[in-house]
Amino acid sequence: MIRRTRLARIGAWAVALAVSVPFVILLLQSFVESWRAPAVLPQRFGLRAWSIVLAEGTAARPALVNSALVALATTTIALFLAWPAARALGESRLRRPTLVVVVMTLPVLVPPYAVGTGLAEWFIRLGLVDSLFALILAHMVYVLPYVVLLLASGFGREVESLEEAACAMGAGTVHRLRLVTIPAIAPSLALAALMGFLVSWGQYGTSLSVGGGIAMLPVVLVPFVQADPPVAAALGSLFLAPAVFALIVASRQDRMN
Amino acid sequence: MRRVPAAVAVLPACMIIVALFGGALVGAVRTSLEPGPAGLAGEVSLDAWRAILTDPAFLDSLLFTSWITLASTAISMIVAVGLAHLIRGRRRALWALFGLPVPVPHLLVAVVVVLWIGPAGVVDRLAGALPFELIRDRAGLGIMLVYVLKEAPFLTLLIVAVLGPEVRAREEAAATMGAGPLQRLRWVVWPRIAAPLSFGSLIVAAFVFGSFEVPLVVGPTYPKTLAVLALDAARTSELDGQARSASILLVTAAVTIVCALLLVRRARADE
Repeated sequence: MIRRTRLARIGAWAVALAVSVPFVILLLQSFVESWRAPAVLPQRFGLRAWSIVLAEGTAARPALVNSALVALATTTIALFLAWPAARALGESRLRRPTLVVVVMTLPVLVPPYAVGTGLAEWFIRLGLVDSLFALILAHMVYVLPYVVLLLASGFGREVESLEEAACAMGAGTVHRLRLVTIPAIAPSLALAALMGFLVSWGQYGTSLSVGGGIAMLPVVLVPFVQADPPVAAALGSLFLAPAVFALIVASRQDRMN
Repeated sequence: MRRVPAAVAVLPACMIIVALFGGALVGAVRTSLEPGPAGLAGEVSLDAWRAILTDPAFLDSLLFTSWITLASTAISMIVAVGLAHLIRGRRRALWALFGLPVPVPHLLVAVVVVLWIGPAGVVDRLAGALPFELIRDRAGLGIMLVYVLKEAPFLTLLIVAVLGPEVRAREEAAATMGAGPLQRLRWVVWPRIAAPLSFGSLIVAAFVFGSFEVPLVVGPTYPKTLAVLALDAARTSELDGQARSASILLVTAAVTIVCALLLVRRARADE
């Protein structure tokens, strides 16, 4: 027999906590006001870092707005572009699905800074550089593949037969979509949207190369890591928030299944 | 119900990707062929390629990037196998805690690492000054730590997904026949996890090879990873900076594309 010891259980929880606790403490670190070495605990907590982040005139606030706007726009457009492709893939109607998957996913593995730099060359010529539109296009290379693959996992024989039944009962295209298709694939749709948002939200290399003049959250965050750690922690907490939200949604869905 | 043919349905998504990605590669190649300071505008030249291939900083960077790629991937794989063994069959809440780094951006993991083990970080204060330097060290240990923290949980979840109760039953059977833990790992568990693990590891390797924001935050000033070297080249005032930057980035793109094609061949072989 293989024995599962109590030690192993404690070990598993210890590793899980060690992995996750630093991210939780990040929020705490953003309230540190004064922390002179070698004190173990900060001497004073306060809102200094947050007042810098939320103040008008710093790059942080526009960065937050720009990152959210670009992530929302990229994800929304990606969902529309992905829908027919995800459907064809999910219903296994393609003769060579591997080819489509390879074409879609290959770019994801190529460094974003490389893709961004190559795209910037075109955007400069087209007068698009330093615009939110350029950022959306560049992020699309990384967002669209995830959205297609996650959305495809929702489609299949079951959804198809539900739709056929609705059609037989006289539901038009719009009704069918609203009352049958979307509710049927809702979990995959939610995951695809969340993942798309997260991928765009986390883009550094493409944002730096394509949108040099536009404040984006990760680009604004980097210099603060050395210059002002509490501000980095505050920006980092905001940067982390969507991932935590995604994790909660994913684990709730998991429990429902 | 009318149906759009499948080949037409995939066109919008595929065309966008092919146009943007293909365009990016063409753009980078064109930039890399721009002549250096001695050449005439509009001329095609290999000056930038010659310059990077003879630059010792480029060769150091290539070696350094390959080293952190291989080391981070190998360590993540080993850690993942161990962790999968530890968490399989346990509660979902544990998996969720454990999976926290998976959706978190790489940059954020790097920020957390600096706040904990960087100079005047949490660990420094708890333990006194650390006897070794992990942040901005020449061996790239800080970069490797970030990638292991982020990617080992990802690989673990990939493995745990294929280790269902039936594998446990086989292990039990092997154990009653006298197989030790290592033998069970080799003959029962490994055949199950080999495919997802190697698939995941190639993805991890491609990510590490292109690492950019992580070394910017925790990497040494020398040697740099290829992407950071490209950033430096693009930011110099030298005339051929952009061309050299594009050449370096094309090298990273080529390596990751080869990685990806290996992945495809593997997947084909498994089909």
